[in-house]
Amino acid sequence: MILAVSMQGISKQYGSVQALGNVTFEVEKGTIHALVGENGAGKTTLMRALYGAMQPDSGSITVNGQAAHFHDSRAAIDAGIGMVSQHYGIIGELTNLDNLVLGAEGGPVLMKGSMEQRANELAASMGFEFDWAAESSTLSPAGGQKLEILKLLWRNSQIMILDEPTAMLSPQDSDALYESLKQLAANGATVIVVTHRIAEVFEHCRRVTVLRGGVKVADHDVADVKPEQLAEEIVGGTVIERPVPVSNERSNIRLRIDALSVRGSKGETAVKGIDLQVKSGQLVGIAGVDGNGQRELFHALIGVSKPMSGSFSFDGNQWDTEPGSTRILEGLRVIPEDRHDEGVIEEWSLYDNSALGLQRLPVFRRLTSAMKSEAPVMAEMFKTKHGNLSDSMGSLSGGNQQRFVAGRALRIDPQMILAFQPARGLDLNSTTKVYQEIRKACDEGACAIVVSFDLDELLDFCDRIVVMCHGHLSEPKPEEARDRAAIGRLMVGAE
Amino acid sequence: MKARVPILFACGILLMIGSLMIVHAPIGEAVATIFQGSLGNLKKISGTIKEMTPLLILGSAVYLALKAGLFNIGAEGQYLVGACFACQTMVMVPGPVGVGLGCLVGIVTGALWALPAGLIKAFRNGHEVITTIMLNAVAANMTKALVAGPFKGKGQLVPSTAVLPVNSQLTPLFTFRDLEIPQSFVIGIVVVVGLAYWLNKTVAGYELKASGANPTAAQFAGIKTKQVTVKAMLMSGGLAGLAGALQVAQFEHRFYDGFATGYGFDALGVSLLVGSNPLFLLASSFFFGLLNKGGTALSLIGVNKGITMVVLAVVIVMFAAVRYGRKQVNHG
Amino acid sequence: MVSFLLQIITMSAPLILMAMAGYMSERSGVINIGLEGKMLAGCFICAAAGAHFGAVGGLAFAILACIALSLLHWSLTQMYRIDHIISGMAVNLLASGFTGFMDSSGIWKTTLTDSQRLPLPMYYAIAVISPFLLFAMAGRTQFGLRHKSVGSDPDKARLLGIHPQRVRFSALIMTGVFAGLAGSLLVTETSGFTKEMTSGRGYIALAALILGGWRPIPATAACLLFGVAKAVQIRFSGTPIFNFDIPSEIWNMLPYIVTLLALAGLLGRNRTPAGLGKH
Repeated sequence: MILAVSMQGISKQYGSVQALGNVTFEVEKGTIHALVGENGAGKTTLMRALYGAMQPDSGSITVNGQAAHFHDSRAAIDAGIGMVSQHYGIIGELTNLDNLVLGAEGGPVLMKGSMEQRANELAASMGFEFDWAAESSTLSPAGGQKLEILKLLWRNSQIMILDEPTAMLSPQDSDALYESLKQLAANGATVIVVTHRIAEVFEHCRRVTVLRGGVKVADHDVADVKPEQLAEEIVGGTVIERPVPVSNERSNIRLRIDALSVRGSKGETAVKGIDLQVKSGQLVGIAGVDGNGQRELFHALIGVSKPMSGSFSFDGNQWDTEPGSTRILEGLRVIPEDRHDEGVIEEWSLYDNSALGLQRLPVFRRLTSAMKSEAPVMAEMFKTKHGNLSDSMGSLSGGNQQRFVAGRALRIDPQMILAFQPARGLDLNSTTKVYQEIRKACDEGACAIVVSFDLDELLDFCDRIVVMCHGHLSEPKPEEARDRAAIGRLMVGAE
Repeated sequence: MKARVPILFACGILLMIGSLMIVHAPIGEAVATIFQGSLGNLKKISGTIKEMTPLLILGSAVYLALKAGLFNIGAEGQYLVGACFACQTMVMVPGPVGVGLGCLVGIVTGALWALPAGLIKAFRNGHEVITTIMLNAVAANMTKALVAGPFKGKGQLVPSTAVLPVNSQLTPLFTFRDLEIPQSFVIGIVVVVGLAYWLNKTVAGYELKASGANPTAAQFAGIKTKQVTVKAMLMSGGLAGLAGALQVAQFEHRFYDGFATGYGFDALGVSLLVGSNPLFLLASSFFFGLLNKGGTALSLIGVNKGITMVVLAVVIVMFAAVRYGRKQVNHG
Repeated sequence: MVSFLLQIITMSAPLILMAMAGYMSERSGVINIGLEGKMLAGCFICAAAGAHFGAVGGLAFAILACIALSLLHWSLTQMYRIDHIISGMAVNLLASGFTGFMDSSGIWKTTLTDSQRLPLPMYYAIAVISPFLLFAMAGRTQFGLRHKSVGSDPDKARLLGIHPQRVRFSALIMTGVFAGLAGSLLVTETSGFTKEMTSGRGYIALAALILGGWRPIPATAACLLFGVAKAVQIRFSGTPIFNFDIPSEIWNMLPYIVTLLALAGLLGRNRTPAGLGKH
């Protein structure tokens, strides 16, 4: 067995967080190797270390038997390592050929003829076909992913790192992509796929490494392991007895989602015809790995994007056709994902921010005086640490901004609470407090949907858990409703 | 890194002093002349107020758009179109009724002139600066053609409308010796105060500011940012048109080719210096009025007004640089 | 006919050079409403330096002055991160104020004798060739590709090891070169500097650039179109067409109205570089 990559004892600390702890990672040359784990398990960090984009605190890296010290990505690229990150790297305004060669043009003058010839050879070797003169904005998500792979080949990468390559692809396109990867591997290239989709691992990969909490948990030949076992290794097998949150559920359905589909930012169908009914008093947690349509679902419910098809209503009001401001008047309250961009206006004072999103409620009819009286209450609700309420929001730390945003969302008569990662940046105490307030509102008849990538958090606080995976929504069987392993299997598509 | 902004300041001041030194202009005398020429006696103060008046309203117009995140460079064109049509209205309908009607026409035509820029920005993502520059050029040519043709007054030798009948000309509200307070000046102050109230105390103003400060957060707050963009351009254009109408009624009494003297661009400078409190529009337009009036006095002693433009450029850049510096601190 | 063609060239050539100046800047992501000021500064310096140092000196100093002004624009937008519109406006104010001020002070002579002027055909030739050169640069060189990429998406370009600020630095130097040429051409035609002699040409060039979808050859075509409109206006002014005397203002408005229609998406799709104004 020849090792293309051997990473030994890699550790990395960010502040007080141990992102990677003594991780050993070995990849055999000419294989497709899967690296799996939950969000925050350290997969991307480990790959960034291999790609030279991050320097580990300790540990050694060997590439093709040679000790490697990559101070930047350029050095890694020169050593034949290429990486396709989750962030789409194709510039739509350039042609396909331009995108292929950008940054590695091979000289001050572009030899279009020979460039196109080599591009065609590379494409042909992979069974791809490209109109090189066409603008890349016309590429499908699958076409873009293929072009990304060709970009690696163009740079003579022998070791390719693909971070969630199928996130935006249909099953057919994913299969086609893996066929190409297999071919590359057969020709001696080494492919590392970072993924959370177990099905892909079993169908296409030779070996699999599991990370959890920055530590390597397991290393298998795929042939030697069962999906259930792998799913358990990913989400963790420890079963803590925890009390099921008590809900004050009533029989009336308040939110009703019917066959809702929503388009994602790259034109893919991100939410695929989901149905969900939420009753008064329910606190529903949506479990799932990041990027499985949760964000797009939220955006449609809030009103910042329009659904492709399907409908949803709240208390019989047809929300999908109502403007967002009306939904707010009818009780919608949002704790958005990115408070910095979506939740606050950083140049404004805390006073001014207190009305944001609620400005049309009767409470704020006398705007200035209402902001003066509401802001302190909102800040106090979750103990926002701030200098002066007239200081700019930008002077607060992220966690304190989150406290303020949560206080604002829950302060004035919430009926339908949408919270995306409400605990982000909060300590355990504040997290509990936020969920308690959401629960309190639910007990008074409201309902809530919370998205979190932390399954334990949802199990701790939500009375009902549903799972989103690849744009579909599913619910565990009643007898497995609190079963961590069962939910974990749904999350990674192992069932 | 820390020295960056001070370096910019030093360069700016050197540039101003250097320009004066190149032409051997006495620096002290030049500065004194600016103040003498603008504030030296009651008559000169009246002149400064006259320069300041259109800037109050135009500054409000541009400031309102700026709060919605839009650079309304088109204030100049909206001002021209508003003034032109308002003037023709006042010529046709004499008396106070005509003045009222003329102001209304000025507001409507100014708003309509800004509308394409708002629509293209909201629905085609075309930069409002580019569209309003184009609209300015069209406005200048169109009004010129109008006063050379259909709107040309009888007996006028140059392209110009007829002179307003005397009972349509606004008199000064208040006169004390040489000091004159024009009615339009008072209207301008009312506009500034009204705008400050609207922006700070009303939900509509709040939503407009939110769209300008952070469009994403505004959308999450249920605000229709595209509608706000169009509305802001309409309001801004309407105010600019009003400024034009009042300029005709109060000072010019006719509309002619060459009516605009760069007030629209000054207004952009006025609003850039204001910051977050709209009431600073009063101070900012006073500063510009002073520079304009003082600059005229300066040219009488042989130093061209151009130097005041250099001063403005330097002040605007410094102001923008300081604001950037503050933002950096917040994010750091 | 020959005089009419000559008229078209006279009207179009400065626009083409300015449109190329705009192309270099805007396609790299720097919004340039400061073109007018750069051109005006070019005019003034060419006249003043030409009167002192002769023809070549005039052109050389004009180009140097425009490069300096362009780099000021670069440092304001790229280092101080001042809004592109504000800094462009400041450049215009600075140029307009400074040239007016210097001109009326009269300490520098700004009229040129024949021997202090370079031959006009040289400028025309440059105006004809440069769009093709820039076209070739955009499509055939590493710099051209990187230039385009930073104007489209500076962040993605950065991920590929390209430094947007450096690319824009070079691009703005070229903007200065073209603006200097255009200003010198204008002064060479009229033999001297007069205040605000550019009279909006910088903005018309910007309009042509937009109309041409931020591409050199179509932008040149737009400049020619505007040149023809202007030449027709000069030729036929006072001559009624179909018994209707079209005011010259209508012709003057034409470029701007066409550009507005283009921006409204009524003439094909919007090709605004996605990275315009981004860091």
